[in-house]
Amino acid sequence: MNTHVSSDFTPDAVIIGGGIAGLQSALDLADQDLQVLLVERQSSIGGHMIALSKVYPTLDCASCITTPKMSAAAHHPNITILTNTEVEGLDTRDGVHHVRLLQKPTYVNFDKCIGCRLCEYACDTEYPDPFEEGLGAVRAIAVPFTNAIPQKAVLNAEACGTCGTCARVCPTEAIEYDQQPRRLTVRTDAVVVASGFNLNAVTVKPQYNAHRSHNIISPLMLERLLAPHGPYGRVLRPSDGKMPSSIAFVQCAGSRDESIGVSYCSRVCCMYAIKQAMLLSGALPLADITLYYMDIRAFGKGYEQFFQNAKAMGINFVRGKVARIDPVEDGDLSLHVETTEDAEDPLQERRHDMVVLAQGMIPGWQPADSTPVACASDGFVATPALTAPTATTAPGIFVAGTAAGPKDIVDTIAEAGAAAMQVSQYLYQKRSSVLVA
Amino acid sequence: MAMRTLSPEQKQALAALRVSIGGVSEQKRQTQKRLIAARKAIHKFLQAQPATVPQIATALQMPTDEALWHVTGMRKYGKVAEAGEDGDYPLYALVALEEKSAAAH
Repeated sequence: MNTHVSSDFTPDAVIIGGGIAGLQSALDLADQDLQVLLVERQSSIGGHMIALSKVYPTLDCASCITTPKMSAAAHHPNITILTNTEVEGLDTRDGVHHVRLLQKPTYVNFDKCIGCRLCEYACDTEYPDPFEEGLGAVRAIAVPFTNAIPQKAVLNAEACGTCGTCARVCPTEAIEYDQQPRRLTVRTDAVVVASGFNLNAVTVKPQYNAHRSHNIISPLMLERLLAPHGPYGRVLRPSDGKMPSSIAFVQCAGSRDESIGVSYCSRVCCMYAIKQAMLLSGALPLADITLYYMDIRAFGKGYEQFFQNAKAMGINFVRGKVARIDPVEDGDLSLHVETTEDAEDPLQERRHDMVVLAQGMIPGWQPADSTPVACASDGFVATPALTAPTATTAPGIFVAGTAAGPKDIVDTIAEAGAAAMQVSQYLYQKRSSVLVA
Repeated sequence: MAMRTLSPEQKQALAALRVSIGGVSEQKRQTQKRLIAARKAIHKFLQAQPATVPQIATALQMPTDEALWHVTGMRKYGKVAEAGEDGDYPLYALVALEEKSAAAH
């Protein structure tokens, strides 16, 4: 894997973000013999998708789709990957983009590290694992997760007790405590913003009292619980390790709600909740699974059939809105629901022992703060041309995936391919005009 | 696991790192102490018999979510494994040394 960037490196394109959109754009460009620099702020490429259990509507294993793309990018001779690297800013001068990067220290020499994890096994400091959404534990020096790329240890200086054990046990002397942040500027003709999304916090709606119960969880937490190599190895309640017998999904818990500043629909929550409900009914066959929804938006190919299959499997769909959630005894949760399905008794109280809140998708990065790329009123990258959905307001800078707005994996991959083609066409036209001139 | 001694340069770099992160605070020291004490206590408790997370939490007087987090970490790093179920809760038992050795090979 090529991870070295010198000051005179001028890739044809810089891709900002190493999730599924960035990987697809990078691979499509590199296959056209263009030199690509892929910049990722986390310690591994793969984005959110590598942490998912399965994808809808096919129920294919998410990492079985993502890992080959991660590996292909890592081994591609035309792709250079910088992890632990953030974009500090971007200026455009004479049609050339100057991308200012900050590479954070990992305290491990990647050329020497062989990924043996002896340092990780010897370390005695643990903290909540961000890859497991805080549900699991990870050591202060660790390979980020099992199928991370690069398979190199990274030291979290904030968690480290500076005992020196990792350097004592490293067989290749790869630990470098004196690594410093490195700033570099890369010149390029084209940029793809594929910076992805975040979810708003489970605590965003105070009426749901997520700060008072460990059993009110995010959908990404449930993805980790459902993953075969997840933190507990099975689905358990985070409060006490109980196998839940009654699970509720509360839809539109972080979107379509002006009171929390997210008035738009996040477009993926209905489908991933249905998928998670189906997977839960497989993992916990005796569990009662209820999905509270305002309306189901199953608009993609095969999605409506997927929804009907979930109903046929016995998942309970209740049309209504959850107004409040109160923690009650034994870690259980009381849901106050207004339902349209019972005209005589619309206001109901229902008990569950775990609740999944469908949070809203919000932008993962604000490029408007440090680049010429404008954002729309919802905070996502603006795409003003209806006929060129990957074009931003800045010439030569394109956007792919959820950086432009909420969308699912299928649409993200299609858009990433389109962005790569737009970059390719832009570079051809730009370079042809230079030759003619 | 073979342990080397740190070279003077490594010691100096480690000291510089300690300074750059603002030193090892008392809070961090206490957190680390509690982590090691909790892991030792869970290890000792599970030597008698497999237990569920609430049983561990009750015996060691710690919140159940904290006990689960510790068990999760111990499970990840091969110290404990699931050993059946007790009602709605999985049982956790210590991993025998010979099993760990076999897993490593």
